[in-house]
Amino acid sequence: MSYRENTIAVSLASYLLILAYYVVNWLRMYQEQGLDSGTIFRLWVVVIVAGIVLNIVGNILTNIVLSIVHAIKTGTEKEPTFIEDERDKLIGLKGVQVSYIAFSIGVFLAMLSFVFSQPPLVMFSLIVFFSLTGEISGDISQLFLYRRGVRYG
Amino acid sequence: MDKRRVRNNIRKLRFYHDEMTQEQLAEKVGVTRQTIIAIEAAKYAPSLELAFRIALAFGVHLEEVFSYTTDDETA
Repeated sequence: MSYRENTIAVSLASYLLILAYYVVNWLRMYQEQGLDSGTIFRLWVVVIVAGIVLNIVGNILTNIVLSIVHAIKTGTEKEPTFIEDERDKLIGLKGVQVSYIAFSIGVFLAMLSFVFSQPPLVMFSLIVFFSLTGEISGDISQLFLYRRGVRYG
Repeated sequence: MDKRRVRNNIRKLRFYHDEMTQEQLAEKVGVTRQTIIAIEAAKYAPSLELAFRIALAFGVHLEEVFSYTTDDETA
């Protein structure tokens, strides 16, 4: 696995963890007391902040671990260069494209909740949910493209 | 439309250049080793600029490194 694949895998793992935390807490909240704006806002803040912090910490840890592995493999203390070339950029762009498409579909589905007479909190909860699944689908598509290969167009 | 793909002779050219490693070629052209692996395996068609850089690294013309052929033409 290349450096980029490792960082994407770490990002995917952190988003999956956050999604699981969000869904479990949201369902518990929904079953126990119904949706209360105070507690649901707190949950959104926790999810958004955790998303940012976990990604930063995950990236730093990946860099440290990969540098150690590189030093052990090569037997030198010279730091490895993690360059991002045109293929990485292309795959990154395609990943972002997949994320946006998945998120857009999610927003549309979230708006459908009004059709079923659900309160606005449900719609916003679904938007947070689909923003996480959008990120996850973008990461999965990037890992897939690294394995299968990528073409322009 | 016939199914053409960008194919290459990078493996052969590396062999004729003192068994140049993928890492060395990657450093010469400024990409990662994984990109060279992907190009060699025809899993990634490089940009025109990178294709020229690879040809320059071997000191040959572009057509000697890359071709745009169908499976029948290659066989």
